[in-house]
Amino acid sequence: MMNIKAFTLVSAVERELLMGDKERINIECVECCGRNLYVGTNDCFLYHFLLEEKALPAGTAAFTATRQLHRHLGFRKPVNELRAASALNRLLVLCDNCITLVDMLNLEPVPSGARIKGATAFALNENPVSADPFCVEVCILSVKRRTVQVFLVYEDRVQIVKELSTPEQPLAVAVDGHFLCLALTTQYIILNYSTGLSQDLFPYCSEEKRPIVKRIGRQEFLLAGPGGLGMFATVAGISQRAPVHWAENVIGAAVCFPYVIALDDEFITVHSMLDQQQKQTLPFKEGHILQDFEGRVIVATSKGVYILVPLPLEKQIQDLLANRRVEEALVLAKGARRNIPKEKFQVMYRRILQQAGFIQFAQLQFLEAKELFRSGQLDVRELISLYPFLLPTSSSFTRSHPPLHEYADLNQLTQGDQEKMAKCKRFLMSYLNEVRSTEVANGYKEDIDTALLKLYAEADHDSLLDLLVTENFCLLTDSAAWLEKHKKYFALGLLYHYNNQDAAALQLWVNIVNGDIQDSTRSDLYEYIVDFLTYCLDQELVWTYADWVLQRSEEVGVQVFTKRPWDEQQKNSFNPDDIISCLKKYPKALVKYLEHLVIDRRLQKEEYHTHLAVLYLEEVLQQRAAAASQGSEPSDTQTKLRHLLQKSDLYRVHFLIERIQGAGLPMESAILHGKLGEHGKALHILVHELGDFSAAEDYCLWGSEGQDAPCRRHLFHTLLAMYLHAGPAAHELTVAAVDLLNRHATEFDATQVLQLLPGSWSVQLLCPFLTGAMRDSIHARRTTQVAVGLARSENLIYTYNKMKLKGSAIWLSDQKLCQLCQNPFGEPVFVRYPNGGLVHTHCATNRHTTPSSPSPGTRT
Amino acid sequence: MRKPDGKIVLLGDMNVGKTSLLQRYMERRFPDTVSTVGGAFYLKQWRSFNISIWDTAGREQFHGLGSMYCRGAAAVILTYDVNHLQSLVELEDRFLGLTDTASKDCLFAIVGNKVDLTEEGAAESGEKEGHDPSKAGGGCASPRVPKQVQLEDAMALYKKILKYKMLDEKDVPAAEQMCFETSAKTGYNVDLLFETLFDMVVPMILQQRAEGPPQTVDITSSKPTKRTRSGCCA
Ligand SMILES: Nc1nc2c(ncn2[C@@H]2O[C@H](COP(=O)(O)OP(=O)(O)OP(=O)(O)O)[C@@H](O)[C@H]2O)c(=O)[nH]1
Ligand SMILES: [Mg+2]
Repeated sequence: MMNIKAFTLVSAVERELLMGDKERINIECVECCGRNLYVGTNDCFLYHFLLEEKALPAGTAAFTATRQLHRHLGFRKPVNELRAASALNRLLVLCDNCITLVDMLNLEPVPSGARIKGATAFALNENPVSADPFCVEVCILSVKRRTVQVFLVYEDRVQIVKELSTPEQPLAVAVDGHFLCLALTTQYIILNYSTGLSQDLFPYCSEEKRPIVKRIGRQEFLLAGPGGLGMFATVAGISQRAPVHWAENVIGAAVCFPYVIALDDEFITVHSMLDQQQKQTLPFKEGHILQDFEGRVIVATSKGVYILVPLPLEKQIQDLLANRRVEEALVLAKGARRNIPKEKFQVMYRRILQQAGFIQFAQLQFLEAKELFRSGQLDVRELISLYPFLLPTSSSFTRSHPPLHEYADLNQLTQGDQEKMAKCKRFLMSYLNEVRSTEVANGYKEDIDTALLKLYAEADHDSLLDLLVTENFCLLTDSAAWLEKHKKYFALGLLYHYNNQDAAALQLWVNIVNGDIQDSTRSDLYEYIVDFLTYCLDQELVWTYADWVLQRSEEVGVQVFTKRPWDEQQKNSFNPDDIISCLKKYPKALVKYLEHLVIDRRLQKEEYHTHLAVLYLEEVLQQRAAAASQGSEPSDTQTKLRHLLQKSDLYRVHFLIERIQGAGLPMESAILHGKLGEHGKALHILVHELGDFSAAEDYCLWGSEGQDAPCRRHLFHTLLAMYLHAGPAAHELTVAAVDLLNRHATEFDATQVLQLLPGSWSVQLLCPFLTGAMRDSIHARRTTQVAVGLARSENLIYTYNKMKLKGSAIWLSDQKLCQLCQNPFGEPVFVRYPNGGLVHTHCATNRHTTPSSPSPGTRT
Repeated sequence: MRKPDGKIVLLGDMNVGKTSLLQRYMERRFPDTVSTVGGAFYLKQWRSFNISIWDTAGREQFHGLGSMYCRGAAAVILTYDVNHLQSLVELEDRFLGLTDTASKDCLFAIVGNKVDLTEEGAAESGEKEGHDPSKAGGGCASPRVPKQVQLEDAMALYKKILKYKMLDEKDVPAAEQMCFETSAKTGYNVDLLFETLFDMVVPMILQQRAEGPPQTVDITSSKPTKRTRSGCCA
């Protein structure tokens, strides 16, 4: 067990001062009360000294004693025990089995001669039951066998309170409240003197050793147990602390929080009550008295008196910390809580936690360190400042004084061990990341985030990017320089962007893509730039880099125009014509852009539609030329072209028909003719040039889309006529005609069709058509009937209402007055309101209101 | 110092492994121990309660301290060494009497430690593979170190304790629940032992609190008139 210096031993009364050269005089007992020190000797003298304490810088003190009065007590016996009762200004002196009361200053016995006779030992109650301040409670071991007595002692009289007998002869006593703690011959007991109840503690052997009974605090005693144990016991007979382990031959014990001090033949030992560990050993020969008096611990040999001066707790804690004994230091600090004012304690304790944290940190005990830093509310910059170059140059931080640790920096702490260094850095990373969003960071977020950025950059850590794309307080200049140094150009771009310097960011990224500088953070940096520009609000920048992105890839590059967010497009910040002229050099991009305008944004502008159609057409023609042989399937572009020609009504049809002439694009020209309303021409092309009957059928459908039914019927009839016109020789067309009829029975006017059809066609052949037409006509008839029925009943309802309104006849007489003018009616014409009120016609026209006071219940 | 809410005491002959069990549970390790002097204790936070666990010294010299340590205990763990019959006998002869000072509804657990030294124990704590297929069905091979004390012996002692305490078997946990075989060395059953006890001790603490003197005076609900009347008319 490592030691701690908790006490220093200093001399208080030198031998010469007491007895000069008289060899046979021995110290028997001592008492200390404030500055008064009393010594009783074997030749029945009582000495009084005044103690002068002088503090020394090392935290200890020196004492000088000056001799005051001394007095012979008048017996030929030694003075056995001394106790001061300062409130009474009395000393209780046990000598020759008698306790006398003497004046504390002149050492004279009280004139009343009050005394307690027949005592072999006594103890004062330090936790008195009585509230009277001018009275002390004393328990004595009586000369009568197995008897203890309790007295009240006043200034000049004594009064017995209680006498109790004990199961065995008592040898030592201590008192707390109503409880006596007694050492009997074979065991320790607690005896409640007011109830007489007793409680066994534990056995021991008084023949082998002298018992010790020592009150150490409220309701708790310290007892010498078997095997040199110092046992703690409460008045309830329970042990609340583990025992301390003394030498077998222990003579006396004292308490000076948080320590238990014991004396044996050769040593004074110091144990902590907090962890029961032995903390200090002081060699001290021939000691025979060890006592504490209101916090002052005194030891004495038979020749001299010494004081154990406790080192200030703070100093002890600092010593422990200096020896890296964190656990013990914290226990001691916590134990000191109740002995130090709250404010002062908190400041002290926080600092100790921080120091302890650095000790753990230096031993790479990061978990423990973190907890200590957290509970000690460490200014994180103390930790950051250990790492060279992490704090921004602009930081105003200076380390606390006195320093929390002994390290200049991490290099010194790790002694250059790279692995340890890396561990420390990883710890700081996780620690800063944890605290940056807590209140610990308040006030120095810049320092924390900048440090974190530097650590991430140096370690090539993924979180660098996360840090930069979320809210952060990284300082620009410091961080930029660091990122550049570590070639984190992409991240540097993010930093610029975060600081609203998009131009600088883009320039960096473009340089990376161009290969001018190296940074492989993102393999898709080009796409990233395109994306960035797409969402970039700065038009200038977009124009600056438009050519660059388009040159690398027309399809992807054009996204900076086509994928812009809608709301921004709405505000029309980019003029499509500007973009189109920019895209002249990039045909693929141009097509994509026009598609975007026409299809996605549905711009209804002829130019764009025509332009797009022409571009499609050109490409189709080019593909034609290249492929030479005519592929049966239409290419993608061709499909798009057809789709556009069909769906759009805006392009210039004539212009396109001209361009398409003779290009061998029958389908496209059919669509164009259709657009001009030349359905005959269009169908002719489809049927006769292309021979594509299903296309012709489709044409009838889409060509009449959005038009009325007769128009559609006209188309179908035109097509049918075209099929039938060819005559039965053109077998194919006949089949097509039958199919057309059967498939679209309802599109035709059946009566008209039947007249057109050749008589040779069987009913069987046209069965689907005929049933379809039939069903259609029946359906039409029935719906019409339903409509007629509904109309009739509606009419009936109106008639009924009308009848009701007419109601019964109204009698007009002289008594009936106009409700508006209150005059009788002069002619048979009147106006009747729905509520029954009658008025003159002229009154009604004058006042377009209902009568102001219509009589309830319409008296007609 | 935080006052514990309940107390558990480990008793048993020296060298049976009380300190080792406690260290295994509290510190998750099996260090070299020295024979305990006097006693030591740990505070364990279990849910919202502080439970103190006392490790006592088995040495004869400190025997006298046992009663005081047991005073008011909510549970006592009687520990023996499964390879040492005498250590079980001692529990009855020497240690049971110490528990007279314990709380009147004190629980008793009987723990046979060092099962790792027996063949069965070794199998339980990890050497499960390597079963000879030729011996299929024959579950247990003859132990290299025969276990001197069987679990049944511990259960018999448990029932004796109940008789000694004049407790009805129906009112207390069953022997099967309170007799454990453990190994501080491997950790086998150690957590189970302590945590079973903690869970049993918590309701006792709560009950004690409920029965204990009220901490505050309820001045709102006093009904003086009624009480006086019933008091003087009775
Ligand atoms: N193999 C084995 N050895 C154990 C086990 N538990 C304890 N031991 C050993 O047994 C010896 C005694 O253990 P302790 O825990 O000190 O015994 P104790 O009961 O506390 O003894 P006292 O303090 O003297 O009462 C030590 O050498 C331990 O290493 C166990 O489960 N298995
Ligand atoms: Mg032990």
